[in-house]
Amino acid sequence: MNTIQLQQTLPAVFSERTNLQSDVWLQDVRLEKGKVYLVEANSGTGKSSLCSFVYGYRKDYIGSILFDGENIRSFSVKRWTDIRQEHLSLLWQELRLFPELTAMENVRIKNNLTDYQERQQIDYWFDCLGIADKKDSLIGRMSFGQQQRVAMIRALCQPFDFIFIDEPISHLDDTNSQIMGDILMDEVRRQGAGIITTSIGKHLPLQYDQVLKL
Amino acid sequence: MSLLWKLLRQHISIPQFAGFFLANLVGMVIILLGTQFYTDVQAIYDSEDSFMKADYLIINKKIGAITMLTGKSVAFSGEELAEVEGQPFVEAVGFFTPSAFNVRAAFEMQGIANMSTDMFFESVPDRFVDVASDRWHYEPGSSDLPIILPKNYLDLYNFGYASSRGMPKLSEGIVGAVTLHITVQGNGKSADFNGRIVGFSSRLNTILVPESFMKWANGEYVSKAVEPTRLIVKVGNPTDQRIAKYLTDKGYETDTSKLDASKTTYMLRMVVGIVMAVGLVICVLAFYILMLSIYLLVEKNSYKLENLLIIGYSPCRVSLPYQLLTVFLNVFVLLMAYGILLLLRSIYLSMLMGFFPHVTLPSLLPSAIVGIALLLVVSIINICVVKNKVMSIWNRKD
Repeated sequence: MNTIQLQQTLPAVFSERTNLQSDVWLQDVRLEKGKVYLVEANSGTGKSSLCSFVYGYRKDYIGSILFDGENIRSFSVKRWTDIRQEHLSLLWQELRLFPELTAMENVRIKNNLTDYQERQQIDYWFDCLGIADKKDSLIGRMSFGQQQRVAMIRALCQPFDFIFIDEPISHLDDTNSQIMGDILMDEVRRQGAGIITTSIGKHLPLQYDQVLKL
Repeated sequence: MSLLWKLLRQHISIPQFAGFFLANLVGMVIILLGTQFYTDVQAIYDSEDSFMKADYLIINKKIGAITMLTGKSVAFSGEELAEVEGQPFVEAVGFFTPSAFNVRAAFEMQGIANMSTDMFFESVPDRFVDVASDRWHYEPGSSDLPIILPKNYLDLYNFGYASSRGMPKLSEGIVGAVTLHITVQGNGKSADFNGRIVGFSSRLNTILVPESFMKWANGEYVSKAVEPTRLIVKVGNPTDQRIAKYLTDKGYETDTSKLDASKTTYMLRMVVGIVMAVGLVICVLAFYILMLSIYLLVEKNSYKLENLLIIGYSPCRVSLPYQLLTVFLNVFVLLMAYGILLLLRSIYLSMLMGFFPHVTLPSLLPSAIVGIALLLVVSIINICVVKNKVMSIWNRKD
C-alpha cells in the first residue's frame, strides 16, 4: 500500500456545517508512504473520526477514502483483517488495551498474531521507555502515561505501510516524548512506512513533511 | 490461543453452563434411552417370530354348523378378495395356497427319533415372509425344499410326545440341522425332496413352503384348481377399530392374540415416541439455556471482542474459543449420556433377558446415530450463532 487518498471526505455529522475551513475535510488529500504528516486539530474537529474512517472501524462519512486508488468501502472482512495485520497500524487515543492482561501480555497478544517483533526488541523498548519493571503489572493498575507507552509498543508489533498515531503523548513528559519519537522513527524508517500523527497542542517531536490543519 | 482464552473466558458463568449441562444431559439420556429401548424391545418381539413381519393378520371364514351342513364354501372368491383389498385399513393382501396333493414326511435322527407322518403344505406370497431370499427359494427340479414349521409342533413333541416316551428334548437349532424326507404324491406321480427347516413360526399355524414350489407342485400333481381359504393381510394400524368391525360384519375370523401383539407393538412405539418427544423438548430447552449463556457471555465481553477485532484478529479466530467451548460441552454431554445409557441398558436388559434368554441383542448403533446426529445439529447451530454474534460486533459501527 503506497497511498491513502481522501476525496471530499467529511464525517456525516458535519454535513450541516457551512463555515468549514480545513485542509482535510472536503478536500482532496494524498498521503504517501515514507512521509511524515502532522494533523493539527482543535477538539471536536473529527481527529479521532479520521483515524476510525481510515482504519475501517467506522463508515459514517461522506465522500471516499482510497487505498492505492481502491475505495475502502467495498473491502471485505478478510481484506480488513489482512490490512490491520500487515499494512496499517493505529495507536488509538483511548489506547484500547486489555485491563485484564499485564503490560507484556497486551503486547504479546498482538505480536502472537503477527509474529513480527523479536522478544529482545520488545524488551528493549520496555527498557527505553522506562517501564521494564511494569511488564508483569496489570494494565488496569498502570497510569495513563505508562499505558500510552505500552500501547505504542503494541502498535509497532506488526508490519505496516502507514501508522496512525492519535495524540500519543498527551500524558508524557518531554524526555519520554523524545524517546517515543525516536523509537517510532527508527521503526518507521526500518519499514519505510508513513506516519500520520494527530495533536491538539503538544505533538511528537519529529521532522514533519507536511502539517495539515483539520 | 492461551492469551486469547485468558481474555475471553472472563465472565463465563459456571452455574449457567452447569445448568445447561444437566438439562441437556437429562434430555440426551431420555432420547438415547428411548431409541435404544425401542430397538432392543423390537428385537425381542421380532425374535419371537422372525419370519413374519409385524402387523400381519391372518383371516379365514368362520366354520360353523351351518357351513358344515350346507356345504357352503369356506374359500374366498375373487370378489371377496377384491373387497378386502379395497378396505382403507388394508395395505396388502395375499392368499394362503394349500397343497392339493399328498405329502408324507419322515423325520430321522440316529437313535433319537424316527417318525413319519402325513402332512400338508401352504404357501403365502414371498413378500410376506421375512427370510433372506436366497434361503427362501425353490428352483423347479431341485430336491432341496425350505420349510417353516409352526413352533407349536416342536412344543407338542418336546412337552407332549418326548416327555411321555422318555425321549430327549430337541432345541430349534438341532431340529433345524436335520433333514426331513418328504414324499409328494398326486396325479399318478410322486417325487422325493429333502426338506430343510429354515425356522419356526409362532404366529403362523401352518407348514410353509415357498410360493414357487407350491405353484410348481400344484401344477404338477393336481388336476383341479385350488381355492384359497385363508388370507394374509397387512394393516397399517392394527389398533384401528374398523378392522374388528369389518371382520365381525363379514363373519371372518382372525387370531386375536396376533392382533393384540400388534397392538402392543403399536402402543410401545407410541409410548417411546412420546418419551422421546419429551426428551427432545428438554434438549431444546437446554440448548436455549446454552444459547442464552453464550449471548450473555459475548455481550459482556463485547468490548474485548471488539478490541481484538481492531488489533487485527479475524472474526473466525475470535469466535473459535467460544465455538470450541460449546462443541466441547456438547461432546462431553453426549459421552456422559452414552455412559448413563449403557448403565441403564445393562439394568433393563438383565431383566428382559430373564424373560427372553435366547434373544440376540441388536447393536448400539441406532442410539449412537441419533446421538451423533443431535450433536452435529446442535453444534452446527452453536457455531453459526457465535459467528453471527461476533460479526454483529464487527459491524456495529456501520
